Amino acid sequence: MRLLSLLALCGLIAALPAARATEAPLDLTFGDFFVQPIGPRGLEPTPRLLAASGHQVRLVGYMVLREQPQPGRFLLTPRPVSMSEHADGDADDLPAATVTVLLPEAQRDRLVAHQGGPIALTGRLEYGPAEDESGRVSWLRLHLAAEALAATPASH
Amino acid sequence: MKTQALLLAAFVAGPALAAPTVTRLTPPSELFSSGRAEPVIARFLPGQRFDLQATVQPDAGQKVTAARFLIDGRPVAATVALRDCASGCVKGLAAETAIATVRAVSSDAAGKHEFSVEATQADGQKVVAKGNFEVVPFTVALGPKVKNIIILLGDGMGASQRTAARIVQGYAQGKALQPLAMDTFTATAMVKTSSLNSIVTDSSPGMTSYVSGNKNNNNEEGVFPDDTVDAFDNPRVEYLSEYLHRTQGKQLGIVTTADVFDATPAGNAVHTSNRGAGTGIVDQFFDDRGHTGLTVLMGGGRKWFLPAGTPGSARTDSNDYAFSATDPHTAEIVKRWGVAAGALDKGRDLIKDFQGAGFQYAATRSDLDKADAAKPLLGLFAFSNMNVALDKINGRRGSDKNGLRGGSVVDDFGLPDQPMLDEMAAKAIAVLKRAPKGFVLMIEGASIDKQAHNMDTERWMLDTLEFDRAVRVAQDFAAEQGDTLVIVTADHECSGAALIGGSMVTDKALADLAAKKGVANLRNQVVGVYEKAGFPHYKIAADGYPETTDIDFRLLVGYGANADRFEDWRTKKTPQRDPQQPFATEAPLKWYPANAQERDDALGDYLVTGQVPGESAVHTATDVPLSAYGPGALAFIGVIDNTDVFFKLAQAAVKGVVAPADTSGAKKPPKPKR
Repeated sequence: MRLLSLLALCGLIAALPAARATEAPLDLTFGDFFVQPIGPRGLEPTPRLLAASGHQVRLVGYMVLREQPQPGRFLLTPRPVSMSEHADGDADDLPAATVTVLLPEAQRDRLVAHQGGPIALTGRLEYGPAEDESGRVSWLRLHLAAEALAATPASH
Repeated sequence: MKTQALLLAAFVAGPALAAPTVTRLTPPSELFSSGRAEPVIARFLPGQRFDLQATVQPDAGQKVTAARFLIDGRPVAATVALRDCASGCVKGLAAETAIATVRAVSSDAAGKHEFSVEATQADGQKVVAKGNFEVVPFTVALGPKVKNIIILLGDGMGASQRTAARIVQGYAQGKALQPLAMDTFTATAMVKTSSLNSIVTDSSPGMTSYVSGNKNNNNEEGVFPDDTVDAFDNPRVEYLSEYLHRTQGKQLGIVTTADVFDATPAGNAVHTSNRGAGTGIVDQFFDDRGHTGLTVLMGGGRKWFLPAGTPGSARTDSNDYAFSATDPHTAEIVKRWGVAAGALDKGRDLIKDFQGAGFQYAATRSDLDKADAAKPLLGLFAFSNMNVALDKINGRRGSDKNGLRGGSVVDDFGLPDQPMLDEMAAKAIAVLKRAPKGFVLMIEGASIDKQAHNMDTERWMLDTLEFDRAVRVAQDFAAEQGDTLVIVTADHECSGAALIGGSMVTDKALADLAAKKGVANLRNQVVGVYEKAGFPHYKIAADGYPETTDIDFRLLVGYGANADRFEDWRTKKTPQRDPQQPFATEAPLKWYPANAQERDDALGDYLVTGQVPGESAVHTATDVPLSAYGPGALAFIGVIDNTDVFFKLAQAAVKGVVAPADTSGAKKPPKPKR
C-alpha cells in the first residue's frame, strides 16, 4: 500500500512535462499555504496554494534538524525545528505547514547535510496526502530539480 | 536461548532425544531467564489482570499441537490461543514456531507464585518452562481510602530541572525567595527508573511502571514484549486506570502539552508495543473509554483525529489496530479483556466520534474556558505537540515578535490561542471532581523533556515553571478536598542537565562576545563558577513567568548527555537554534559522506563536543525525585523502584493509606506553605 503510493509519486515525477521545469517559479511563503489561524478541525488550503500546486515555486524555510534523517528527503519549516525521533517519534514540534522536500529520483539514496539558517529552494510543489514508507503522511511536497544537489559530498 | 529453563520434562527418555524448547515466557522473570528466583520481576495487585504467553520452538519437521499454562501447579482454566509463525513474527523465527497465549488471568493469593507452560509437539514430546511472579497484598490501613489520585509527570524532569525552575523564581543569600509548589510537598523519595530492557528508559516504560506496577520494554506501553510484529497483540498488563475503573468505577483524565498519542499520555490507557502507532493509539483511547473510564483527554495531536483526506490528517491504516474475530490470538483479547476489536479505519472522524459519545470538544483556550464542567472533555489544541510555555507566553504578551510576518511563534504555527498547562489542569479537575467514585488524573509537562533533548535551556526552564503552576492547581485542590493523593515526579531525567553556574557578564556583553565567537570568548569570559556565579535575578512578571530570560548574569546550564552543540548561552529566538543569517542561501544542497555522524560545518563558533552521537541530548539513567502530598504522602520516602509507586497508589485508593500526610502525624494534608 505504502510502496504503491511511493511508486505512484515516482511515476508522477517521471510523467512531468519537461516544460514545467523551465517555467518561472512562483514566490511562496509558508503563510500562503493554509488559512490562519487554523480553525477547530483540519487545515484549509488557500486559493494561492491550490493554484500553485503542480507548479514551480520558490520557498524560503529552515531545514529540520533530524536525529534520524531519511535519505532522499528532508523537512522544511517556517522556523528552525529539531526532531528527537528516537525518544519522541511523531510527537514532534513540526508546524502543520511543514513541507517534505524530495530529491530527484536518481538521488533518493542520498542524505542531505543539515544546513543552519534559512535556505531558498525551488521545485515543483505538490499538495495532497501521501504516506511514505515510515507511515508518515505529508500534505505538502516540494520536488527538487536535478541540479539542486551538489555533485560532491559535504566536506568537513 | 534460555537453556536453563528448558528440558525440564522428566519423562524424556534420554539426553540424546530432541524436544521442543521455550524461548520466551511471559510475564518476564529471572526464574525463566537466569534460573534465579530473585528478584521477582513481575508483580501484580490481587486480582490485577495480565496475559500469560510462551514462545515455543518445536523440533525440525514438528509442530506444537498443544500448550497449557499452570499457576502453582494448577492448570489455568481459560482458552489457550495457539498460533504459528508462518507469518507475522519477528525475523529469524522458524515458521513452525508456536506462540501460546492466555489472556486476562489474575491471582488473588498474596505472595510469590510459580507458573509454567507445558507444550507438546506432534510426536508427543513435551517441554516445561517455569517462571514466577508475585501478588503484592494490600495491608492494614492507617487511615481512610483516598478518593482521587493525581499524577503530575514532568517528563525528563530530574533534580536539575526542578532546581533551575526554583532559581529562576529567585534566591537571596542562599535562600529561595519562593519555593516551587512541588517543593512544598510533604514527602520525597528518589526513584529508580530503569526499564525492562535498559538502564536508560524512554517515556513509555517510564510512565507505565508507575501505573501498571511492571517494567515494560522501551517503546512499549502496557504490554510485555513478544515475538510478533503486530503492535497491538502483545501480552497485556492492567493499568491503574483500568483496575480502579473496573473495581471502583473511578474515572480517568489525561492532560499533556504533547501530542496526546505520545508515550506518557498513552501509557495510562493504551496497550501497544509501538509507541509510534498514532492512529491505533488514539482510536484505543476512545474505543476503550468504557474500560479505562476516560473522561478528559487534552493536549495536542489533532492530526490523528481528522479523517484521512481532511487536510492535516496523519491517520493511516498502517499504524491502526484491528483484532481478528476468528484467530484466537487476538480474538481472545476482545473476549477476555472485554475491550474493542478496533478496525482499520483511517477515514474515521474521531473528533465526531468523541462528540457523539457526549464529549465536548475544545480547539482553543477560549473553547476550554467555555467548556461545561458537567460533560466529558476532549481538547486538541495543536496538530502535534503544543507550543512550549516560552512561546505561548510571548504570544500572550505580544512581546518578542520574532515571527516571520511580525507575529509570534504561536502565530507562525497558526495556533495563537493555546492554553497553558495549569489552565488545562484546572478544567480537567473541574470536570473530574464530579466523578462520584473519584478519579485518576495524569498531568504531563511534556516539553521539559523535549526541550532538554534540544538543549534549549530557557524553553525547558519555562516549561518546568509552567508544570509547577499545574502542580499548584492540583495541590490546592488536594488541600481543599483532603481526600486526594498527589504525586509529582518524572519518568526519567533528560540531557544530564547540570546547573554549572552563572554568567559573569551582562546580556549586552554576552551578545558582543557571541559575535566574536569561540571558546575564549564564550566560555572563558562568561562562565562564572562557584562564588562567581552569585545569584541570577530573573524578574517574574504578573503572569508568573520571567519578564525576559535574557537577563544580565544569567543562570548557565551544562549538559552531561549532550550531542554536539553550539553554545552562546542566550535565549534562542525561535524554538531551535537560528544562526540568524540575513540571507537565504540558494546554493546547491550538500549531501553527507557515508558516515552521517560526521557533521561539523560551523567551525569558529563555541562548539561543545557531544558525548553522545547524533543531534539530540538523551535520557539518562539517573534517579529522579518524586514528591507526594495528601493523605498517606509519607509512604513515599526512601529510594524506591518506579513500580513500587503503583502499589502505594493502589493501596491508598483500595484499602486506605498506610502513612500520615506529614510528619505531624495528621491524616489530612497541611495547608501548602508558599
